[in-house]
Amino acid sequence: MNNKIHLDPYLFISISMLSFIGLFILFSASESSFGAISRQLIYIVLGFFLFFIFSQPDPDIYRRFSLLFLILSLFLVASTYFIGTEINGAKRWLKFYVFSFQPSELLKLALPLFLSSYLFHKKLPISFKDTLIAILFIFACFLIVARQPDLGTALLVTISGIFVLFLAGLSWLFIFLCLSAIAVFSPFIWNNLLQPFQKDRIWTLFNPESDPYGAGWNIIQSKIAVGSGGLFGKGYGQGSQTQLNFLPETQTDFIFSVLAEEFGFVGVLLLVMIYAFVLLRCFYLAVNARDRFCRLVIGGFIFTFCFNVFVNLAMVVGLIPVVGMPLPFFSRGGTSLLSLFIMFGIITSMASHKKFMQR
Amino acid sequence: MKNDFQERQFEINTFTQRSLFITIILFLVIVIFLYRVFYLQILEHDEFDEAAFENKTYTVPVQPLRGRIIDRNGIVLTDNIATFDLITNPSEINDPIVFLNDINKLINLSESEKTNFLNSFDDRAFFNKELILKSNLNEKDIAKFEVQSFRFPNVFVGKRFRRIALGNDSFAHVLGYAGVLTDTSFISKKFNRNSWNDALYSYANGLIEGKSGLEKTFDDVLKGKFGYKQFEVDSKGRFIKEIDYLPPVKGDDLQTTLDLKAQLRAANLMQDKKGSVVVVDVQSGEIVVLLSAPTYPINKMANGISKDQYDELLNNKDKPFFDRSVAGRYPPASTLKPFFAFHSINNQLTNWENVIRDPGYFILPDNGRMYRGWRQIPLGRIDLATAIVRSSNTFFFDLAYKSNINDISDDLIKFGFGNTVCLDCFQEDDGLVPTPNWKRENLNFSWFKGDTVNLGIGQGYMISTPIQLAYYAAIIASKGDKKKLFISELNRQNSSKEVITAEAFNNSDWQKLHESMLNVIESDLGTARGLRNSKEFLVAAKTGTGEVVSLNSSAEYNRIREDISLRDHAIMIAFAPYENPKYAISVIVENGESGGGVAGPVALGVLEELLDE
Repeated sequence: MNNKIHLDPYLFISISMLSFIGLFILFSASESSFGAISRQLIYIVLGFFLFFIFSQPDPDIYRRFSLLFLILSLFLVASTYFIGTEINGAKRWLKFYVFSFQPSELLKLALPLFLSSYLFHKKLPISFKDTLIAILFIFACFLIVARQPDLGTALLVTISGIFVLFLAGLSWLFIFLCLSAIAVFSPFIWNNLLQPFQKDRIWTLFNPESDPYGAGWNIIQSKIAVGSGGLFGKGYGQGSQTQLNFLPETQTDFIFSVLAEEFGFVGVLLLVMIYAFVLLRCFYLAVNARDRFCRLVIGGFIFTFCFNVFVNLAMVVGLIPVVGMPLPFFSRGGTSLLSLFIMFGIITSMASHKKFMQR
Repeated sequence: MKNDFQERQFEINTFTQRSLFITIILFLVIVIFLYRVFYLQILEHDEFDEAAFENKTYTVPVQPLRGRIIDRNGIVLTDNIATFDLITNPSEINDPIVFLNDINKLINLSESEKTNFLNSFDDRAFFNKELILKSNLNEKDIAKFEVQSFRFPNVFVGKRFRRIALGNDSFAHVLGYAGVLTDTSFISKKFNRNSWNDALYSYANGLIEGKSGLEKTFDDVLKGKFGYKQFEVDSKGRFIKEIDYLPPVKGDDLQTTLDLKAQLRAANLMQDKKGSVVVVDVQSGEIVVLLSAPTYPINKMANGISKDQYDELLNNKDKPFFDRSVAGRYPPASTLKPFFAFHSINNQLTNWENVIRDPGYFILPDNGRMYRGWRQIPLGRIDLATAIVRSSNTFFFDLAYKSNINDISDDLIKFGFGNTVCLDCFQEDDGLVPTPNWKRENLNFSWFKGDTVNLGIGQGYMISTPIQLAYYAAIIASKGDKKKLFISELNRQNSSKEVITAEAFNNSDWQKLHESMLNVIESDLGTARGLRNSKEFLVAAKTGTGEVVSLNSSAEYNRIREDISLRDHAIMIAFAPYENPKYAISVIVENGESGGGVAGPVALGVLEELLDE
């Protein structure tokens, strides 16, 4: 049993499909330049390697080292304040020679791992004290990322923590109180915490035509790209919105629009089906996982992943305001791709290591 | 152990329920999302497809060439002449000064060409626009540039047309010119406003429109239809490829009734004179010659004139831009006498046999006031025919005195006065036929009998234009037939024949009138007898001397004549050949003093040119 290779074939096939379809679309989005995707290809190969590595250890190892991992991640994120590379006014990156690295991606893994391990032993329902401690950790993680600033990732980190807390059995009363508090304080948040550009994005959602060449440009062009794709799309490399650069950020936030323009509704359905399959498969794996820690980790990971996917999709078709949140497995970006492979590696580890008791 | 198992089961149930809760929400999101995509891609597909197409295409207008203007013999009067310009793409030039130095080694540029280029450079650098560096290249320059053109990817030799009129500017007023378009309101929805900045020009001076004369009147005929070129562009507006081209449609040629040779002859005879020559075809109403002098440099007006030169023309006291032929306001003077012959006989106020004594003046019976022209000498006992031949003022003062002013006005209007007579002349003046009503309304005076008397010799309030006088001459020539005048063949069908109704003025009266006008030249006593031997055909004519100021003695006139601009205008109307009149003419020479001596030779010269053909 010890030399068994831990692998879930369904997950493996799904994420292989996602990453290679993603690469294929990225090639079109980067004006068919091999230079742009060869780097992404290297990350994918490296990613699969990490996927296998992280699939193998026993979940207990993750549990034991989760606090250390969280502290390390926080330390790395904090260090971007001092030695980070500044891009577009945000310090999110650490640079090692040619290799750039975004430590906040690690937090998306570390926080759910830590919270799952923290709540592992706690009696149900979770006590008020434990809830507060967990929320404190979540809030700390949110703040440290949000101040880089990187609101998109900060939101994902927070959501990942909240999902774990919710799955672990957060009391409905508490949830209700929190939602009420948010509703009451929303005017305060609107007036004091949101930046003007963020308010713009929200206004723009409701009326993109008010500023078609400014704030509304991205969403208008994205809707045109998606809408003009039709049922079967314009064909690979034939999307005028993509190829003539009307569509912004084709390699990152708006890469879904490229797929929708060139492969149409059929392509969109296929993509959504793969994501939905990954969700259902992980749901199945979580319910059948060997212990609470594994379930919480898988649940926290996969729902955060889905949240990320659907925020991106809803954004590019104009259902929600523009937030900088890339599409997993599609958007260009090494660290996020590697952390995705590591995440699915850990999920595989959690799912395929069975209980000792049954032996 | 059991407790532990229960708790474990409870934990699994909680997890499963809550996972299911999230999963269901996520699937709801998927449904909403898929409906949204379905809405965009299937339900609203056509709208977004069109938006995507509009995004990536850029349509620019392609300028058509204007039609040519052609004379009665098929000679082109206004044409599009191909010229070659050295044209730059400012957006591809980084440093205009360095660039100018480089290109100057190859093609010699004048200082003004350099300054013009530098001045326009900044304005146009950010447009996708062309900038002309040097106009009208000669063959040597073109050859020199072509050899070295690889060194200048931002410059090319472009074929650009210029609108050029022939005829040494003699046609300036009638043809008019086409200049840079100022009214952009015609711009259609087919092209958006920006794309006009990038229009593909056929003319060196860009978008042009008719500004005056025939170019303006028949702009719709001449201008043609824009074509377009459609390009695929990227989001920055950069050109990717051409996807569609609809060639422009050249404007229609305008066939006119003008005669180049006769016009040139008229211009030649009117050199250094101010005034006008108008020749019309008696039978058809065609305008054959339409000259206003002095004229102005029409091709410079169309293709670029310096500010100084333009200001000089504008402020010139001879008013070269003013079209005297259709808008000059002159008293008809004695040329109106044949009209009074018609009017008086038709109203049975006199006949050809009636004789009166001409003492050289006329005394108005009502108040004893004396009317005379300073040139008048006593002519003794004269009849109507002699009064025309010798241009007796007394005789026509007397006839006018016997007439009713309203009857005169009505008849004057029948002969074309007081109204435009041309179907397609540019800014034609109405002239003026005075009536008691008019005087009361405009001068706040009642009509005096003396006003009628003055009208008898074509002086006073009445104003005629040269083209009205030619029209009037044509009516006399054709014995009462009148056809509206026209320049463009397009108006031939609009010029229908009318006949002046005359109960008591019959054909033999017309014949007598013609004879007396013939004798203006042929008789020993005629006012234009000096012209008798300078021609090989018979011409009927009437001279006139239009007073610029009204005087009673030759002494007074000799004093004011020191000022050339106060000298009398010389006028002649005529028609020829006498037997079967083909052409009617009016000539006015401002401050020319003598109708027979100054206007006469001009009229004869032009008629000779026409009848020689």
